Amino acid sequence: MAASDAKRIWRNGLWDNNPGLVQLLGLCPLLAVSNTAVNGLALGLATLLVLVVSGLLVSALRHAWRPEIRIPAFVLIIASTVTAIDLSMQAWLHDLSRTLGIFVPLIVTNCTILARAEAFASKQPVSASLVDALAQGAGFAAVLLVLGAGREIVGQGTLLAGADMLFGPAAADWTIPMLPFDQGLLLAVLPPGAFIGLGLLVALRQKLVNRSRESGLESGASPSPAEPSTP
Amino acid sequence: MPDASRWRPLALLGLIGLGAAVTLGGIDELTRSTIDDQRRAYALRAVSAILAGRNHDNDLLDSARPIDIDGLEATTVYTARLDGQPVAAVFDVTTPRGYSGDIRLLVAVDDGGDVLGVRVLEHRETPGLGDRIESGRSDWLEQFEGKSLGNPSRDRWAPDRRDGAFDTVTSATITSSAVIDAVKRVLATFESHRNRVFAESGPANANGPD
Repeated sequence: MAASDAKRIWRNGLWDNNPGLVQLLGLCPLLAVSNTAVNGLALGLATLLVLVVSGLLVSALRHAWRPEIRIPAFVLIIASTVTAIDLSMQAWLHDLSRTLGIFVPLIVTNCTILARAEAFASKQPVSASLVDALAQGAGFAAVLLVLGAGREIVGQGTLLAGADMLFGPAAADWTIPMLPFDQGLLLAVLPPGAFIGLGLLVALRQKLVNRSRESGLESGASPSPAEPSTP
Repeated sequence: MPDASRWRPLALLGLIGLGAAVTLGGIDELTRSTIDDQRRAYALRAVSAILAGRNHDNDLLDSARPIDIDGLEATTVYTARLDGQPVAAVFDVTTPRGYSGDIRLLVAVDDGGDVLGVRVLEHRETPGLGDRIESGRSDWLEQFEGKSLGNPSRDRWAPDRRDGAFDTVTSATITSSAVIDAVKRVLATFESHRNRVFAESGPANANGPD
């Protein structure tokens, strides 16, 4: 796989075709769990892991797929991966799995994973599928982390509360107080805050895209000095 | 060989299913004892913390027994003993009367029927309002410490918004009422079945009459 391909796949997952902000897939866990930065990051990492494992398996077996069994086989692979990760979290990250509750098993229903298996991994070699899974998973986790951090700061007035659940006892005092008063804006922690926060993120991304497109058009009109145009 | 190729997808699906079953079976085997340990440790941490330093020398988790309490669900009682003498009982109860469903509580009661402490284990109350019953968010639960069925009297076991003797969490009268009601029910059961609560555990019966 060429380096330029990898770069394109990364750009696709993190920005151009971000699962959370552009494809708007997997919104159920995205909206439900993003009430603190740690919860968001944890679910994002679990989703990333599921994407990587299922992407690798689907890609490795890509020559064997027939239309009749493709979807059931993908769902079987994804569900097994999620169950394995759920059991591992219960065993080794017990407090965190209590906090995330039903949303770890529900990763099965995250459309992003089936969509990447179907649209990418089943047609591409293993190395490209690995990069794609990492890029899409990182894109999803980043949205969860940013949304969770925003809602936590506005709603609770803290950042990284409960970090010890993910990083061990040493992280117990990582919590950063962000607001001078005790009670934050309640709306941000409640479900409507998730929708509003996601809407603001989508709008912000759209504004950045429009701006870069405009400046891209301007610089495209005149030859750029860095790359001399070929005659 | 058109027939053989028709069966091939099915065989592949079967193989994937088999692979998934074997893998998950292995992971289940690998994690089961750790998950059990974690659950026990979690329960033990919560129950020990609520006993507020009362000395005891028995294994709290081994003392766990089911108990029926009118109006509460999924109730378990742990008994703490020192030299075989009962020190306190910790009730793990779930009340269905919360504002948005079940609230799971630990209620510790000492030998004489006074509340040692109350902790919220699980709930789905409104973030920012009802969740202030959590000990990490306010000291609301501390008002139960030292209270008993006679102090305040039975008919005053209610939030002050409903003319009771207990503080109400602001804008969460239903949540407050559910917790107060659950503690009251635990105390009533403890009072009427005190001997059963302490007698049913292992050492008291196993040694037989002296």
